[in-house]
Amino acid sequence: MKLSHHFIVFITIFFGFWMDELISEFNVREYIFLADTIPYLIETSIGFLVFCYWVYAIPEKLHSSAALMYGFLIDLCFGSAVGFHMLCFASISYIIHIYVFRFRIFSYLQLIIFFGSSSVFYLACKYLIFFPANYSYMLLIFSFFANAAAWLPIYFGMRSFRRTFIK
Amino acid sequence: MARTTPTFTPVGKYALAILVSLSLLISDINYQTFSSARGFVQATGIYSQLLIDSFTTKITIFNSIYEDKKELIKVNKDLKNELLGLKNKVFLEKKSQVLENDLINLYYGVQALSQDQEAFIFEIASFGLKNYLCCSSHSLYLKNPQKFKVAANLPVADGNTFIGQTSSLDLNLIKVILFSDIAHILPVKIKSFFCNARGAGKPLLITCKVSKSSEFLKIQNNDPVFTSGLGGIFPRNIVIGRVISIDNFALNESEITIALAAKPLESNYFGVLVNL
Repeated sequence: MKLSHHFIVFITIFFGFWMDELISEFNVREYIFLADTIPYLIETSIGFLVFCYWVYAIPEKLHSSAALMYGFLIDLCFGSAVGFHMLCFASISYIIHIYVFRFRIFSYLQLIIFFGSSSVFYLACKYLIFFPANYSYMLLIFSFFANAAAWLPIYFGMRSFRRTFIK
Repeated sequence: MARTTPTFTPVGKYALAILVSLSLLISDINYQTFSSARGFVQATGIYSQLLIDSFTTKITIFNSIYEDKKELIKVNKDLKNELLGLKNKVFLEKKSQVLENDLINLYYGVQALSQDQEAFIFEIASFGLKNYLCCSSHSLYLKNPQKFKVAANLPVADGNTFIGQTSSLDLNLIKVILFSDIAHILPVKIKSFFCNARGAGKPLLITCKVSKSSEFLKIQNNDPVFTSGLGGIFPRNIVIGRVISIDNFALNESEITIALAAKPLESNYFGVLVNL
């Protein structure tokens, strides 16, 4: 794969993580007075899902080295401990590589469940490693539904993007 | 996109990748190996954001001047700016008076320890809102246009109380760790009871895990909480919050939850005792 293609892929992943940041910074308590006592319940993983999409769509072009590089850059740009996204990206990339042809015959619902669960696993690891005091099963359950709902728009959006820019 | 034959997935490379990332993660978490690089990238991001903001403001002003009724718009803008300037001036004067009084008190408190410290007011550059709302890592960055060499572990004030302490200096941006950060421990005093209050990882909350004693039994809800001065960073007897709940865990163990008085989200200026 050309370097420019790697750059395009990284930009989309970066944009996904940036979207996650924006969504997380939206403070519902400012707008709904009653929500003042509601704990933090939803965290999206759009960046992670975008990376999953790329590995799912072009597995022959994205291998462990690409996963490591994207992970390293995301760790640096978004201030998480270096190695965390590298580890997550390498692991999910390996799993997708193994089952990529099985995923091809999966229905959309099966894909939604798999990628929703993967993103929840990613969130669980993130909270257990960095923020154990804020870990909650309610957060994971609600985030599962949010990320599962996000998978199809990401899938179709990224597919049309890929067909336009990476041929 | 003809992928009729399965591609070979080299297990060894992935195992190596996982090992490398795992070792980097462990070294970074335990020994902060990449903290300076991370701080550098974050500070660069904040600077570029500030530059983009000032650039867009200039473009907006430029466009509005050349639109229809440009004279009226210009006069209107000038008046608005003047009004904002006056408001800011009054606000800053009020703020600096309050801060001045507090920081003068702090100054004399600290003077006994060091002769080379002075209180300065810094404007906020960036607030880690995402982590503040969701997670246990609470920090903010302050602008440092005069490029003071601000050391770590200096008290940071908001109005007449404290919000946290300086943590590091990244590209002349001062990183401040807030009391509510789970990594922060503040020695506090409630009536005649002393304890180490750790950040709860939730906005405006800190907690003390204590074993029951006769002094502890005197504590009630809404009791004011003071700095104890035992950490050597903050001067003593400054109100930082109040007790909001006392929960009994085990037979001899309790948790005191303290609501902090200062609300960092509502302020744009903070005072720091700077080492000159």
